[in-house]
Amino acid sequence: MDRNQIIKWLKAPAKMGHKYSLHAIYFCTGCGIIEVPPVITARWDAERFGVIPVATPRQANLFLITGYVSVKTLKAIIRTYEQMPSPKFTVGFGSCPINGGMYWDSYNTIKRLDKYIPIDGWIAGCMPRPEAIFVAVTHLWTLIDKDMADGYKRYRSNYHLYRANQEQLFGELEWPPLFPLEDQVEQIA
Amino acid sequence: MRIVEVILAPILALLIGMFFLGLARKIMARIHWRYGPPITQPVIDVIRLFSQKSVSHGNMFTLGVLFSLACSLVLILFLPMGKICPLSSSGGMLVILYVMLLAPFGIALSGGEAANPNASIGISRKLTLALGYEVPLLVILLAVMTHYKTLSIVNIVSMQQNTSWALTSLPLFLSGIAYILILPAILGIRPFEITQAAQEISSGPMVEYGGSFLALATIQHGLNLFIGIALFVNLFLGGAGNPPIFFLKMLVVFVLGLFINAALPRLRIEQAMRYLWRWPTLIAFIGMIIVLIIRR
Repeated sequence: MDRNQIIKWLKAPAKMGHKYSLHAIYFCTGCGIIEVPPVITARWDAERFGVIPVATPRQANLFLITGYVSVKTLKAIIRTYEQMPSPKFTVGFGSCPINGGMYWDSYNTIKRLDKYIPIDGWIAGCMPRPEAIFVAVTHLWTLIDKDMADGYKRYRSNYHLYRANQEQLFGELEWPPLFPLEDQVEQIA
Repeated sequence: MRIVEVILAPILALLIGMFFLGLARKIMARIHWRYGPPITQPVIDVIRLFSQKSVSHGNMFTLGVLFSLACSLVLILFLPMGKICPLSSSGGMLVILYVMLLAPFGIALSGGEAANPNASIGISRKLTLALGYEVPLLVILLAVMTHYKTLSIVNIVSMQQNTSWALTSLPLFLSGIAYILILPAILGIRPFEITQAAQEISSGPMVEYGGSFLALATIQHGLNLFIGIALFVNLFLGGAGNPPIFFLKMLVVFVLGLFINAALPRLRIEQAMRYLWRWPTLIAFIGMIIVLIIRR
């Protein structure tokens, strides 16, 4: 730790805590999860940067969407995302969550994940190498420093839009809205 | 003077506990041939968790964590560390016997409120494991009390400093071995990591903990490490005349425990019970009988 960091720690301990303790929820959303075991084990060792996988969404603050998202998985992804405690960051990993990737004409996969949950950053590639995850983590640090990793705030302020997109896809949703919908619609009107 | 000690002892225990958690992650990483996180990583995690928004699942969920943490803090006040012994008096061992079982109980009450199936499996495992190690622990403590004819840990420590460590003296040698055998179960490290098995039951009772609840649970885990090792050092390694030597002895015991943690896989709960009620209990009973024969 260099001296600049000590001043940063004293100024904003919470922000530095979010930066250096990214606990990723270990949720196997697609084929990209195959790149995660090398990242967290001896070969690439993500624990150096404070990134470790945790078993439950309650303990996590980083959500890696690894690979294509089928309609069925999206339901689980949304519920997992809503269970994570509030300063939370999402990273889309691979081409598939960005624009569908090689599943661009599939009837059963999501083409743009950003329509359903807010994404703070993307890692392009099919497959991205494990090093790309470290690049993403360092970019995420910069974003957190500049208060630009505000996906959870966007989700809150635009919840009625996200909810409308989700309902358009699934029909009636089985779970109640995370934030009150009426207020937001009234604010717009 | 005593008031200063009452404030100082939990803070010291907290620092040592967090240091142990960080050291555990670093040493495990070096054994895996990784570089590992900075040694302050648990402190960073706790800061992050306190700054996150936390969801409570009911009153008992909140109170159970606090109850467990309070039990651990009370235990620390009754454990002499070197010359710091805030509340140790003639019957300190009895307090430790009673309160030691309450700390897992608090986590059990709290995790049960969340009504998560993984949490209930974890709780049943945690309480079963506690039942497993309490039986040999009681026999061991009884042997120590019988040998030194006192209930006060301070007296036991001073008697050991006048003669020799209990672990190296003949009558209590077997009891010490039995305590070493159950120490991983008390600390909840790898062969007995069944309660928090992240891979099978999603970290067990902790499954619904997030934000500040998880931070408190992490602190409680650190204190739990401190208590298990401090009791061993006090009873069998002769305590210490001053705090630094005491913490050095604790460090040696903990690092040896970490090597066991790195080398062994996780047991199933019934294997753990079979082990705990067979070998450590048998050795503790033989040690107890030896103590009784020598006293005659």
